[in-house]
Amino acid sequence: MELYEYNLHELVEKLKSKEISPSEIFESCKKRIDDCEENIHAFITRTEDFAKAQLSKELTGIFAGVPTVLKDNLCTKGIRTTAASKILGNWRPPYDATAWKDLRSAGAILMGKVNMDEFAMGNTCGNSAFGPTHNPNDISRVPGGSSGGSAAAVSAGYVSFSLGSDTGGSIRQPASYCGVYGLKPTYGMVSRYGLISYGSSLDQIGPFARTVRDLQLVMSVISNYDPMDSSCFREKAHDFTHNENPSIKGKKIALVKEFQGFTLDAPIADAMNKIKKILEDEGAIITEVSLPVVSRYAVACYYALAMSEAHTNLERYDGVRLGYTVKDAAGIKEMFERVRSYGFGPEVKSRIIAGTCLTEPTRCEEYYVAATKVRTLIAQEFSRAFGETDFILQPVTPSMPPKIGEADEDAMKGYEADLYTLPVNLAGLPGLSFFTGYADKLPVGLQLIGPRWSDPELLHAGVIIERHTGSPKIANGGVK
Amino acid sequence: MKLSSEEVNSIALESRLLLNEAELAGAVRYINNFLDMLDRFKELDLKDVEPFSFAEALECPLRDDTVIAFPDNEAILHESEHVDGSYFKVPRIMEE
Repeated sequence: MELYEYNLHELVEKLKSKEISPSEIFESCKKRIDDCEENIHAFITRTEDFAKAQLSKELTGIFAGVPTVLKDNLCTKGIRTTAASKILGNWRPPYDATAWKDLRSAGAILMGKVNMDEFAMGNTCGNSAFGPTHNPNDISRVPGGSSGGSAAAVSAGYVSFSLGSDTGGSIRQPASYCGVYGLKPTYGMVSRYGLISYGSSLDQIGPFARTVRDLQLVMSVISNYDPMDSSCFREKAHDFTHNENPSIKGKKIALVKEFQGFTLDAPIADAMNKIKKILEDEGAIITEVSLPVVSRYAVACYYALAMSEAHTNLERYDGVRLGYTVKDAAGIKEMFERVRSYGFGPEVKSRIIAGTCLTEPTRCEEYYVAATKVRTLIAQEFSRAFGETDFILQPVTPSMPPKIGEADEDAMKGYEADLYTLPVNLAGLPGLSFFTGYADKLPVGLQLIGPRWSDPELLHAGVIIERHTGSPKIANGGVK
Repeated sequence: MKLSSEEVNSIALESRLLLNEAELAGAVRYINNFLDMLDRFKELDLKDVEPFSFAEALECPLRDDTVIAFPDNEAILHESEHVDGSYFKVPRIMEE
């Protein structure tokens, strides 16, 4: 067994007992990256010099010596951070994102910044100024997005865990496509300070790993109150301690009534049946909840709000303080227009224009304000549902990962495919994307959703499922 | 409500985006398809519904109103090509 194949909790133990050294695991991960990266293209920036500098100092903390990677929308002090956009150029942030600061304080070693859809807008990891990332299970297919690089890096064995962000499914969908576990935490549980904003009321940082126990470990490090993020909740304490034998006996797990008529690819439908049976065998009660507003209006509501927030958040990129710029503009208007027209990619431009349109005074009430009210109805509907059930079980996507370049030409059709993930962000809920097995060598994932702040219980349920399905294998990574 | 090319171009200019002919045609198609999707909202009676907020966030968390110095102003200024001393310097704002 190669060292890079160890899962996070195993690595933590072996480093702690000095059975292996931080340099040994670094070299093993580096070699794995060297062997696969040409096929996968997960990195935007490799930071091995930074990692070596970290290794040259005394490392303390639970993750002392554990390599990791970060989605490239998490700020890293002095290290290029691009959000996969030309507009950020070679920007080196003057501060660390709090989640990275927490990992760094715990001794984690940064191997690099990984690919994503530009400003987290997309679900293929193909909307990147740095080209697409490939799925390590089948390099002709997309890894999902927007955190495709973070999922691919864990799936291929580059690292045992990574961080991504999830605005409408951007952790859960690539986790499912790449065959790893991904948690979108409750909104407010992990500080967003230093996360490059897309939709601020929806964005949430979360972990990827190859076991649920590893997600628990990462959450125990990054779920802290942070005064630098006003959406972080001070009063909440969270216990992510691993329990070897959790129970879901007597817990209610619901399917969504309105989703039952929707078409799923056969492996996903089969996985739903398999997991239902596992949960029933464990003593859970399978039930049904009705989410009619979610089912019909969540996609429109989500995109109206996400685009409106994106248009505001992306106003700041003007070429003055950081990133790509021009120096020969006659006036500031010309400078802004030239910088933004060159710097943003097509999907980002479309969403900025849509967001500007929806928030104009003549249309704001009809679209933006209406969407904020629909969001209230959606949150109320979930709140009622969680009065009747403990968790909701549902797909992550209706389809298996498409081939690169075969994404929907019709953008709205592509957006509709996000129905299973984005309602979770609208209501600020936690969602666990979990591995269920393989179909024709491709991993199949499903999703478990809980009420706000139920993340620890959600992960306990994940441990139970993993006990039956087994953990995912490290993907081949296109190596012959 | 369908938007014309002129209207979409005007919105793009508000966003400080210059679109070529192909981009504009794509943007018109995109926006109009998107607005069609949002027409679903009209099926709902939203008159007495409050805009969304997280229940826990009803009280705005406030910090003490004290200035905290950023430790490394140089690192911020270093990232810009439009710096004059310790200030950012932008091209002229008033147009001819």
